[in-house]
Amino acid sequence: MLNYVWIGLIAIGILVAVGNDINDEVQNTYRNGVPLEATLTLQPVPSAMYSTWKGELTIPASAFNQFYGIRSQQTDVHQQVVVMTSNKGVTTLSLPVGSSTPEFWKKMADNAGQKDQLSADVRSLNFSGDHATAQASFVLEKVNYVKVRAVTKAALDYANTAVTISLGLIGIMALWLGVMKVAEEAGLLRILTKLLTPLTRRLFPEVPPDHPAVGAMIMNVAANMLGLNNAATPLGLKAMEELNKLNPKVGTATNAMCTFLVINTAGLTFIPATAIAVRAAAGSADPGIIIGTSIFGATCATIAGLIAVKVLQRLPWYKVEVEKSASGDTEANNG
Amino acid sequence: MVELFRNIVNIISVAAIPLLIIVFLGWGFFKKVKVYEVFVEGAKDGFTVAIKIIPYLVAMLVAIGIFRASGAMDVVTTLLKPITNLIGMPAESLPMALMRPLSGSGSLGLMTEIMKVHGPDSFIGVLVSTMYGSSETTFYVLAVYFGAVGIKNFRHALPAGIIADIFGMLGAVFICRILFGV
Repeated sequence: MLNYVWIGLIAIGILVAVGNDINDEVQNTYRNGVPLEATLTLQPVPSAMYSTWKGELTIPASAFNQFYGIRSQQTDVHQQVVVMTSNKGVTTLSLPVGSSTPEFWKKMADNAGQKDQLSADVRSLNFSGDHATAQASFVLEKVNYVKVRAVTKAALDYANTAVTISLGLIGIMALWLGVMKVAEEAGLLRILTKLLTPLTRRLFPEVPPDHPAVGAMIMNVAANMLGLNNAATPLGLKAMEELNKLNPKVGTATNAMCTFLVINTAGLTFIPATAIAVRAAAGSADPGIIIGTSIFGATCATIAGLIAVKVLQRLPWYKVEVEKSASGDTEANNG
Repeated sequence: MVELFRNIVNIISVAAIPLLIIVFLGWGFFKKVKVYEVFVEGAKDGFTVAIKIIPYLVAMLVAIGIFRASGAMDVVTTLLKPITNLIGMPAESLPMALMRPLSGSGSLGLMTEIMKVHGPDSFIGVLVSTMYGSSETTFYVLAVYFGAVGIKNFRHALPAGIIADIFGMLGAVFICRILFGV
Protein backbone atom coordinates (compact mmCIF):
# COMPACT_ATOMS: atom_id res chain seq x y z
CA MET A 1 0.00 0.00 0.00
CA LEU A 2 2.75 2.43 0.95
CA ASN A 3 4.48 1.86 -2.39
CA TYR A 4 1.31 2.87 -4.24
CA VAL A 5 0.66 5.92 -2.06
CA TRP A 6 4.26 7.05 -2.36
CA ILE A 7 4.59 6.76 -6.13
CA GLY A 8 1.03 8.12 -6.40
CA LEU A 9 1.94 11.34 -4.58
CA ILE A 10 5.01 11.85 -6.76
CA ALA A 11 3.40 10.90 -10.08
CA ILE A 12 0.19 12.89 -9.50
CA GLY A 13 2.27 15.84 -8.32
CA ILE A 14 4.48 15.94 -11.38
CA LEU A 15 1.63 15.28 -13.83
CA VAL A 16 -0.53 18.01 -12.31
CA ALA A 17 2.42 20.42 -12.34
CA VAL A 18 3.06 19.79 -16.04
CA GLY A 19 -0.67 20.04 -16.76
CA ASN A 20 -0.94 23.34 -14.91
CA ASP A 21 2.02 24.76 -16.82
CA ILE A 22 0.64 23.68 -20.19
CA ASN A 23 -2.65 25.28 -19.21
CA ASP A 24 -0.84 28.50 -18.20
CA GLU A 25 0.97 28.49 -21.52
CA VAL A 26 -2.21 27.96 -23.54
CA GLN A 27 -4.22 30.53 -21.59
CA ASN A 28 -1.22 32.83 -21.32
CA THR A 29 -2.04 33.28 -17.62
CA TYR A 30 0.89 35.66 -17.12
CA ARG A 31 0.16 37.64 -20.32
CA ASN A 32 3.64 37.09 -21.71
CA GLY A 33 4.28 39.55 -24.53
CA VAL A 34 1.01 41.44 -24.06
CA PRO A 35 1.48 45.17 -23.37
CA LEU A 36 -0.10 46.59 -20.20
CA GLU A 37 -1.23 50.25 -19.95
CA ALA A 38 -0.46 52.34 -16.86
CA THR A 39 -0.08 55.93 -15.74
CA LEU A 40 3.51 56.75 -14.88
CA THR A 41 4.22 59.59 -12.45
CA LEU A 42 7.86 60.72 -12.48
CA GLN A 43 9.91 62.42 -9.78
CA PRO A 44 11.74 64.60 -10.51
CA VAL A 45 10.58 65.77 -13.87
CA PRO A 46 12.83 64.07 -16.42
CA SER A 47 15.51 66.08 -18.08
CA ALA A 48 18.20 65.16 -20.54
CA MET A 49 20.77 65.16 -17.70
CA TYR A 50 19.67 61.82 -16.28
CA SER A 51 19.13 58.43 -17.81
CA THR A 52 17.45 56.96 -14.71
CA TRP A 53 14.31 58.25 -12.99
CA LYS A 54 12.21 57.07 -10.13
CA GLY A 55 8.45 57.06 -10.36
CA GLU A 56 5.21 55.32 -9.64
CA LEU A 57 2.98 53.22 -11.85
CA THR A 58 -0.76 53.56 -11.28
CA ILE A 59 -3.27 51.02 -12.60
CA PRO A 60 -6.94 50.93 -11.53
CA ALA A 61 -7.86 47.66 -9.77
CA SER A 62 -10.53 46.89 -12.36
CA ALA A 63 -8.08 47.32 -15.25
CA PHE A 64 -5.49 45.14 -13.50
CA ASN A 65 -8.01 42.38 -12.79
CA GLN A 66 -9.35 42.53 -16.32
CA PHE A 67 -5.89 42.36 -17.84
CA TYR A 68 -4.93 39.18 -15.95
CA GLY A 69 -8.42 37.71 -15.83
CA ILE A 70 -8.39 37.56 -12.03
CA ARG A 71 -10.57 39.01 -9.25
CA SER A 72 -8.10 39.13 -6.37
CA GLN A 73 -6.76 42.70 -6.70
CA GLN A 74 -8.94 44.83 -4.41
CA THR A 75 -7.16 48.19 -4.45
CA ASP A 76 -5.70 50.27 -7.24
CA VAL A 77 -2.11 49.37 -8.03
CA HIS A 78 0.55 51.89 -6.95
CA GLN A 79 3.89 50.34 -7.84
CA GLN A 80 7.31 51.93 -7.33
CA VAL A 81 9.31 51.84 -10.50
CA VAL A 82 12.75 52.77 -11.82
CA VAL A 83 12.84 53.98 -15.42
CA MET A 84 16.10 53.49 -17.30
CA THR A 85 16.97 54.69 -20.77
CA SER A 86 20.02 53.20 -22.42
CA ASN A 87 22.37 55.01 -24.82
CA LYS A 88 20.53 53.46 -27.71
CA GLY A 89 17.28 54.99 -26.53
CA VAL A 90 15.68 51.76 -25.31
CA THR A 91 13.62 52.35 -22.18
CA THR A 92 13.15 49.62 -19.57
CA LEU A 93 11.29 49.52 -16.27
CA SER A 94 12.38 47.82 -13.09
CA LEU A 95 9.65 47.05 -10.54
CA PRO A 96 11.10 46.28 -7.08
CA VAL A 97 8.83 43.94 -5.08
CA GLY A 98 7.56 45.77 -2.00
CA SER A 99 4.60 45.81 0.35
CA SER A 100 2.42 47.63 -2.19
CA THR A 101 3.19 45.20 -5.01
CA PRO A 102 0.09 43.25 -6.11
CA GLU A 103 0.05 39.58 -5.02
CA PHE A 104 -0.13 38.48 -8.63
CA TRP A 105 3.06 40.35 -9.49
CA LYS A 106 4.76 38.97 -6.37
CA LYS A 107 3.95 35.48 -7.60
CA MET A 108 5.36 36.37 -11.02
CA ALA A 109 8.52 37.85 -9.47
CA ASP A 110 9.12 34.56 -7.59
CA ASN A 111 9.43 32.87 -10.96
CA ALA A 112 11.22 35.67 -12.81
CA GLY A 113 14.95 36.13 -13.33
CA GLN A 114 15.47 38.07 -10.14
CA LYS A 115 13.38 37.18 -7.07
CA ASP A 116 13.00 40.71 -5.72
CA GLN A 117 12.05 42.57 -8.87
CA LEU A 118 10.21 42.37 -12.16
CA SER A 119 11.58 44.04 -15.25
CA ALA A 120 9.66 45.29 -18.26
CA ASP A 121 10.31 46.63 -21.74
CA VAL A 122 8.59 49.90 -22.53
CA ARG A 123 6.69 49.94 -25.81
CA SER A 124 5.61 53.55 -25.69
CA LEU A 125 5.72 56.58 -23.36
CA ASN A 126 3.39 59.50 -24.10
CA PHE A 127 4.25 62.42 -21.83
CA SER A 128 1.72 64.95 -20.70
CA GLY A 129 2.29 68.65 -21.23
CA ASP A 130 4.40 69.27 -18.07
CA HIS A 131 6.32 66.00 -18.44
CA ALA A 132 5.43 64.94 -14.87
CA THR A 133 3.18 62.08 -15.93
CA ALA A 134 3.06 59.78 -18.90
CA GLN A 135 0.89 57.06 -20.34
CA ALA A 136 3.13 54.00 -20.41
CA SER A 137 2.63 50.83 -22.36
CA PHE A 138 5.00 48.05 -21.29
CA VAL A 139 5.55 44.30 -21.50
CA LEU A 140 6.64 42.48 -18.35
CA GLU A 141 9.36 39.87 -18.55
CA LYS A 142 8.36 36.38 -19.54
CA VAL A 143 7.15 34.05 -16.79
CA ASN A 144 6.60 30.37 -17.49
CA TYR A 145 6.87 26.80 -16.15
CA VAL A 146 5.83 28.07 -12.72
CA LYS A 147 4.62 24.77 -11.26
CA VAL A 148 7.42 22.60 -12.63
CA ARG A 149 9.92 25.04 -11.17
CA ALA A 150 8.02 24.92 -7.87
CA VAL A 151 8.09 21.12 -7.88
CA THR A 152 11.85 21.10 -8.46
CA LYS A 153 12.37 23.55 -5.64
CA ALA A 154 10.08 21.62 -3.30
CA ALA A 155 11.85 18.31 -3.96
CA LEU A 156 15.24 19.82 -3.09
CA ASP A 157 13.95 21.90 -0.17
CA TYR A 158 12.06 19.05 1.44
CA ALA A 159 15.03 16.70 1.17
CA ASN A 160 16.95 19.31 3.14
CA THR A 161 14.12 19.77 5.64
CA ALA A 162 14.08 16.02 6.31
CA VAL A 163 17.77 16.08 7.24
CA THR A 164 17.33 19.21 9.39
CA ILE A 165 14.48 17.60 11.29
CA SER A 166 16.39 14.35 11.82
CA LEU A 167 19.57 16.06 12.96
CA GLY A 168 17.50 18.28 15.27
CA LEU A 169 16.35 15.13 17.03
CA ILE A 170 19.85 14.02 18.06
CA GLY A 171 20.20 16.06 21.24
CA ILE A 172 16.70 15.57 22.53
CA MET A 173 16.84 11.86 21.66
CA ALA A 174 20.06 11.46 23.61
CA LEU A 175 18.60 13.24 26.65
CA TRP A 176 15.45 11.14 26.83
CA LEU A 177 17.07 7.85 25.96
CA GLY A 178 19.54 8.51 28.78
CA VAL A 179 16.81 9.32 31.28
CA MET A 180 14.79 6.30 30.17
CA LYS A 181 17.76 4.00 30.58
CA VAL A 182 18.17 5.13 34.18
CA ALA A 183 14.43 4.67 34.82
CA GLU A 184 14.64 1.20 33.32
CA GLU A 185 17.62 0.14 35.42
CA ALA A 186 15.90 1.48 38.53
CA GLY A 187 12.80 -0.58 37.82
CA LEU A 188 10.59 2.51 37.60
CA LEU A 189 9.09 1.58 34.26
CA ARG A 190 8.03 -1.79 35.64
CA ILE A 191 5.95 -0.09 38.34
CA LEU A 192 4.29 2.17 35.77
CA THR A 193 3.63 -0.76 33.49
CA LYS A 194 1.96 -2.81 36.20
CA LEU A 195 -0.56 -0.07 36.93
CA LEU A 196 -1.89 -0.04 33.38
CA THR A 197 -1.63 -3.77 32.63
CA PRO A 198 -5.42 -4.32 32.24
CA LEU A 199 -5.49 -1.72 29.46
CA THR A 200 -2.24 -2.55 27.72
CA ARG A 201 -2.93 -6.29 27.70
CA ARG A 202 -6.06 -5.66 25.69
CA LEU A 203 -4.46 -3.20 23.27
CA PHE A 204 -1.23 -5.11 22.76
CA PRO A 205 -1.99 -8.81 23.34
CA GLU A 206 1.25 -9.85 21.60
CA VAL A 207 3.45 -7.89 24.01
CA PRO A 208 4.20 -9.42 27.44
CA PRO A 209 2.65 -7.03 29.99
CA ASP A 210 5.95 -6.49 31.83
CA HIS A 211 8.03 -5.87 28.70
CA PRO A 212 10.00 -2.58 28.66
CA ALA A 213 8.14 -1.64 25.45
CA VAL A 214 4.94 -1.22 27.44
CA GLY A 215 6.53 1.28 29.79
CA ALA A 216 7.95 3.31 26.92
CA MET A 217 4.60 3.31 25.10
CA ILE A 218 2.78 4.51 28.21
CA MET A 219 5.33 7.29 28.66
CA ASN A 220 4.95 8.32 25.01
CA VAL A 221 1.16 8.44 25.10
CA ALA A 222 1.24 10.38 28.39
CA ALA A 223 3.71 12.89 26.94
CA ASN A 224 1.52 13.32 23.87
CA MET A 225 -1.56 13.94 25.96
CA LEU A 226 0.25 16.62 27.93
CA GLY A 227 1.39 18.24 24.69
CA LEU A 228 5.09 17.53 25.39
CA ASN A 229 6.02 16.91 21.77
CA ASN A 230 9.74 17.21 22.47
CA ALA A 231 9.63 14.35 24.91
CA ALA A 232 6.99 12.29 23.12
CA THR A 233 8.99 11.52 19.97
CA PRO A 234 12.13 10.13 21.71
CA LEU A 235 9.95 8.08 24.06
CA GLY A 236 7.95 6.79 21.13
CA LEU A 237 11.08 5.83 19.21
CA LYS A 238 12.35 4.04 22.30
CA ALA A 239 9.05 2.15 22.41
CA MET A 240 9.42 1.21 18.73
CA GLU A 241 12.93 -0.09 19.42
CA GLU A 242 11.64 -2.27 22.24
CA LEU A 243 8.70 -3.48 20.12
CA ASN A 244 11.13 -4.34 17.33
CA LYS A 245 12.93 -6.73 19.70
CA LEU A 246 9.72 -8.80 19.68
CA ASN A 247 9.44 -8.61 15.90
CA PRO A 248 9.76 -12.05 14.26
CA LYS A 249 10.21 -10.55 10.79
CA VAL A 250 12.77 -7.80 10.28
CA GLY A 251 11.54 -4.86 8.21
CA THR A 252 7.83 -5.64 8.59
CA ALA A 253 5.56 -3.95 11.11
CA THR A 254 3.99 -6.02 13.90
CA ASN A 255 0.38 -5.70 15.05
CA ALA A 256 1.52 -4.01 18.23
CA MET A 257 3.55 -1.43 16.29
CA CYS A 258 0.57 -0.58 14.09
CA THR A 259 -1.75 -0.24 17.07
CA PHE A 260 0.76 1.97 18.86
CA LEU A 261 1.28 4.21 15.83
CA VAL A 262 -2.43 4.62 15.17
CA ILE A 263 -2.81 5.92 18.73
CA ASN A 264 0.04 8.31 17.93
CA THR A 265 -1.28 9.54 14.58
CA ALA A 266 -4.70 10.23 16.11
CA GLY A 267 -2.84 12.72 18.29
CA LEU A 268 -5.07 12.90 21.36
CA THR A 269 -3.90 15.81 23.51
CA PHE A 270 -5.45 17.81 26.34
CA ILE A 271 -3.98 21.08 25.10
CA PRO A 272 -3.66 21.60 21.34
CA ALA A 273 -1.00 24.22 22.05
CA THR A 274 -0.09 25.13 18.47
CA ALA A 275 -3.67 25.74 17.37
CA ILE A 276 -4.33 27.86 20.47
CA ALA A 277 -1.18 29.92 19.88
CA VAL A 278 -2.12 30.61 16.26
CA ARG A 279 -5.65 31.61 17.29
CA ALA A 280 -4.29 33.96 19.94
CA ALA A 281 -1.89 35.49 17.42
CA ALA A 282 -4.77 36.00 14.98
CA GLY A 283 -6.57 38.07 17.65
CA SER A 284 -9.17 35.58 18.83
CA ALA A 285 -11.43 36.64 21.70
CA ASP A 286 -11.27 33.11 23.10
CA PRO A 287 -8.31 31.12 21.73
CA GLY A 288 -8.91 28.17 24.05
CA ILE A 289 -12.45 27.55 22.84
CA ILE A 290 -11.20 24.74 20.63
CA ILE A 291 -9.83 22.61 23.49
CA GLY A 292 -13.08 20.73 23.99
CA THR A 293 -13.83 20.34 20.30
CA SER A 294 -10.29 19.16 19.56
CA ILE A 295 -10.43 16.55 22.32
CA PHE A 296 -13.72 15.35 20.84
CA GLY A 297 -12.27 15.19 17.31
CA ALA A 298 -9.10 13.40 18.42
CA THR A 299 -11.14 10.94 20.49
CA CYS A 300 -13.19 10.10 17.39
CA ALA A 301 -9.94 9.61 15.51
CA THR A 302 -8.46 7.39 18.24
CA ILE A 303 -11.52 5.15 18.55
CA ALA A 304 -11.96 4.83 14.78
CA GLY A 305 -8.25 4.15 14.36
CA LEU A 306 -8.20 1.44 17.04
CA ILE A 307 -11.23 -0.30 15.56
CA ALA A 308 -9.70 -0.05 12.08
CA VAL A 309 -6.34 -1.41 13.19
CA LYS A 310 -7.91 -4.36 15.00
CA VAL A 311 -10.15 -5.23 12.05
CA LEU A 312 -7.51 -4.71 9.36
CA GLN A 313 -4.87 -6.85 11.08
CA ARG A 314 -7.15 -9.89 10.60
CA LEU A 315 -7.41 -9.43 6.83
CA PRO A 316 -5.45 -11.98 4.79
CA TRP A 317 -4.10 -8.97 2.85
CA TYR A 318 -2.03 -7.87 5.86
CA LYS A 319 -1.03 -11.32 7.07
CA VAL A 320 2.63 -11.78 7.97
CA GLU A 321 4.31 -14.97 6.87
CA VAL A 322 7.09 -15.59 9.31
CA GLU A 323 9.55 -17.49 7.21
CA LYS A 324 13.19 -16.69 7.18
CA SER A 325 13.29 -17.42 3.45
CA ALA A 326 10.62 -14.85 2.52
CA SER A 327 12.96 -11.94 2.00
CA GLY A 328 11.40 -8.64 2.85
CA ASP A 329 8.97 -7.83 0.08
CA THR A 330 5.59 -9.08 1.22
CA GLU A 331 4.07 -6.01 -0.42
CA ALA A 332 4.16 -7.85 -3.75
CA ASN A 333 2.28 -10.85 -2.33
CA ASN A 334 -0.19 -8.58 -0.60
CA GLY A 335 -0.89 -6.40 -3.59
CA MET B 1 -14.57 24.58 35.33
CA VAL B 2 -13.02 24.60 31.87
CA GLU B 3 -10.70 27.39 33.06
CA LEU B 4 -9.57 25.31 36.05
CA PHE B 5 -8.96 22.27 33.86
CA ARG B 6 -6.97 24.39 31.44
CA ASN B 7 -4.85 25.87 34.24
CA ILE B 8 -4.09 22.46 35.71
CA VAL B 9 -3.05 21.06 32.34
CA ASN B 10 -0.99 24.17 31.68
CA ILE B 11 0.93 23.80 34.93
CA ILE B 12 1.53 20.12 34.22
CA SER B 13 2.86 20.85 30.73
CA VAL B 14 5.28 23.46 32.03
CA ALA B 15 6.57 21.48 35.00
CA ALA B 16 6.42 17.98 33.51
CA ILE B 17 9.84 17.76 31.90
CA PRO B 18 11.99 18.96 34.83
CA LEU B 19 9.80 16.90 37.14
CA LEU B 20 10.18 13.75 35.05
CA ILE B 21 13.94 14.19 34.86
CA ILE B 22 14.40 14.65 38.60
CA VAL B 23 11.97 11.85 39.54
CA PHE B 24 13.53 9.35 37.14
CA LEU B 25 17.14 10.21 37.90
CA GLY B 26 16.43 10.66 41.63
CA TRP B 27 14.68 7.28 41.82
CA GLY B 28 17.60 5.69 40.02
CA PHE B 29 20.11 7.28 42.40
CA PHE B 30 18.02 6.12 45.36
CA LYS B 31 18.01 2.61 43.90
CA LYS B 32 21.83 2.77 43.70
CA VAL B 33 21.96 2.89 39.92
CA LYS B 34 25.18 4.47 38.63
CA VAL B 35 23.11 7.30 37.18
CA TYR B 36 25.77 9.13 35.19
CA GLU B 37 27.21 6.04 33.56
CA VAL B 38 23.81 4.53 32.75
CA PHE B 39 22.55 7.86 31.37
CA VAL B 40 25.50 8.15 29.01
CA GLU B 41 25.10 4.52 27.99
CA GLY B 42 21.46 5.17 27.01
CA ALA B 43 22.13 8.55 25.41
CA LYS B 44 24.64 6.96 23.03
CA ASP B 45 21.78 5.66 20.92
CA GLY B 46 20.41 9.16 20.28
CA PHE B 47 22.72 9.77 17.37
CA THR B 48 22.21 6.46 15.60
CA VAL B 49 18.42 6.62 15.91
CA ALA B 50 18.27 10.17 14.51
CA ILE B 51 20.56 9.29 11.60
CA LYS B 52 18.58 6.15 10.81
CA ILE B 53 15.45 8.22 10.28
CA ILE B 54 16.96 10.40 7.52
CA PRO B 55 16.34 8.22 4.41
CA TYR B 56 12.76 7.44 5.44
CA LEU B 57 11.96 11.06 6.14
CA VAL B 58 13.60 12.26 2.90
CA ALA B 59 11.51 9.79 0.88
CA MET B 60 8.28 10.81 2.58
CA LEU B 61 8.79 14.57 2.70
CA VAL B 62 10.01 14.85 -0.91
CA ALA B 63 6.91 13.03 -2.19
CA ILE B 64 4.65 15.25 -0.10
CA GLY B 65 6.58 18.37 -1.13
CA ILE B 66 6.18 17.57 -4.84
CA PHE B 67 2.47 16.89 -4.34
CA ARG B 68 1.94 20.18 -2.49
CA ALA B 69 3.96 22.37 -4.84
CA SER B 70 2.27 21.05 -7.98
CA GLY B 71 -1.15 22.43 -7.11
CA ALA B 72 -2.58 18.88 -7.03
CA MET B 73 -4.36 19.78 -3.81
CA ASP B 74 -6.69 22.08 -5.77
CA VAL B 75 -7.55 19.23 -8.13
CA VAL B 76 -8.35 16.85 -5.26
CA THR B 77 -10.38 19.57 -3.52
CA THR B 78 -12.50 20.09 -6.64
CA LEU B 79 -13.06 16.33 -6.97
CA LEU B 80 -14.12 15.90 -3.33
CA LYS B 81 -16.28 19.01 -3.05
CA PRO B 82 -19.61 17.34 -3.98
CA ILE B 83 -19.11 14.72 -1.25
CA THR B 84 -18.15 17.15 1.48
CA ASN B 85 -21.00 19.48 0.56
CA LEU B 86 -23.38 16.60 1.31
CA ILE B 87 -22.25 16.34 4.94
CA GLY B 88 -22.25 20.09 5.48
CA MET B 89 -18.51 20.56 5.54
CA PRO B 90 -17.62 24.08 4.34
CA ALA B 91 -15.58 24.08 1.13
CA GLU B 92 -12.93 26.37 2.65
CA SER B 93 -12.05 23.75 5.27
CA LEU B 94 -11.54 20.91 2.79
CA PRO B 95 -7.88 21.75 1.95
CA MET B 96 -7.17 21.69 5.70
CA ALA B 97 -8.70 18.22 6.08
CA LEU B 98 -6.58 16.96 3.18
CA MET B 99 -3.37 18.68 4.30
CA ARG B 100 -3.48 17.71 7.98
CA PRO B 101 -2.24 14.10 7.61
CA LEU B 102 0.33 15.06 4.96
CA SER B 103 2.21 18.05 6.27
CA GLY B 104 2.47 19.72 9.66
CA SER B 105 3.93 22.97 8.36
CA GLY B 106 1.50 22.99 5.43
CA SER B 107 -1.58 22.63 7.61
CA LEU B 108 -0.20 25.23 10.04
CA GLY B 109 0.15 27.66 7.14
CA LEU B 110 -3.36 26.89 5.90
CA MET B 111 -4.84 27.40 9.36
CA THR B 112 -3.08 30.76 9.73
CA GLU B 113 -4.21 31.91 6.30
CA ILE B 114 -7.85 30.85 6.74
CA MET B 115 -7.99 32.69 10.08
CA LYS B 116 -6.54 35.79 8.47
CA VAL B 117 -9.26 35.74 5.83
CA HIS B 118 -12.29 34.61 7.87
CA GLY B 119 -11.28 35.62 11.42
CA PRO B 120 -10.31 33.19 14.22
CA ASP B 121 -13.73 33.29 15.87
CA SER B 122 -15.75 32.70 12.72
CA PHE B 123 -17.26 29.25 12.21
CA ILE B 124 -14.59 28.41 9.61
CA GLY B 125 -11.83 29.70 11.91
CA VAL B 126 -13.00 27.56 14.84
CA LEU B 127 -13.48 24.56 12.56
CA VAL B 128 -10.02 24.60 10.98
CA SER B 129 -8.29 25.08 14.34
CA THR B 130 -10.32 22.18 15.74
CA MET B 131 -9.28 20.12 12.72
CA TYR B 132 -5.66 21.02 13.37
CA GLY B 133 -6.00 19.93 17.00
CA SER B 134 -7.91 16.74 16.14
CA SER B 135 -5.10 14.88 14.44
CA GLU B 136 -1.40 14.41 14.00
CA THR B 137 0.67 14.48 10.81
CA THR B 138 0.11 10.80 10.03
CA PHE B 139 2.64 10.45 7.22
CA TYR B 140 5.38 12.14 9.24
CA VAL B 141 4.73 10.04 12.34
CA LEU B 142 4.76 6.80 10.33
CA ALA B 143 7.97 7.72 8.46
CA VAL B 144 9.84 8.72 11.63
CA TYR B 145 8.68 5.92 13.93
CA PHE B 146 8.98 3.11 11.42
CA GLY B 147 12.19 4.62 10.04
CA ALA B 148 13.84 4.49 13.44
CA VAL B 149 13.60 0.69 13.50
CA GLY B 150 14.05 0.13 9.76
CA ILE B 151 10.47 -1.00 9.02
CA LYS B 152 9.71 -0.77 5.30
CA ASN B 153 6.46 -2.71 5.16
CA PHE B 154 3.95 -0.63 7.15
CA ARG B 155 1.17 -3.25 6.70
CA HIS B 156 -2.15 -1.88 7.92
CA ALA B 157 -0.73 1.10 9.80
CA LEU B 158 -1.25 3.53 6.90
CA PRO B 159 -4.90 2.66 6.06
CA ALA B 160 -5.77 2.59 9.77
CA GLY B 161 -4.04 5.94 10.29
CA ILE B 162 -5.94 7.45 7.37
CA ILE B 163 -9.24 6.06 8.67
CA ALA B 164 -8.41 7.67 12.02
CA ASP B 165 -7.73 10.98 10.22
CA ILE B 166 -11.00 10.85 8.30
CA PHE B 167 -12.98 10.24 11.47
CA GLY B 168 -11.03 12.94 13.31
CA MET B 169 -11.96 15.46 10.60
CA LEU B 170 -15.60 14.27 10.52
CA GLY B 171 -15.72 14.47 14.31
CA ALA B 172 -14.40 18.04 14.16
CA VAL B 173 -17.08 19.05 11.62
CA PHE B 174 -19.79 17.32 13.67
CA ILE B 175 -18.93 18.90 17.03
CA CYS B 176 -18.33 22.36 15.56
CA ARG B 177 -21.66 22.29 13.74
CA ILE B 178 -23.45 21.33 16.94
CA LEU B 179 -21.72 23.88 19.18
CA PHE B 180 -21.08 26.81 16.83
CA GLY B 181 -23.26 25.64 13.96
CA VAL B 182 -24.58 27.67 11.10
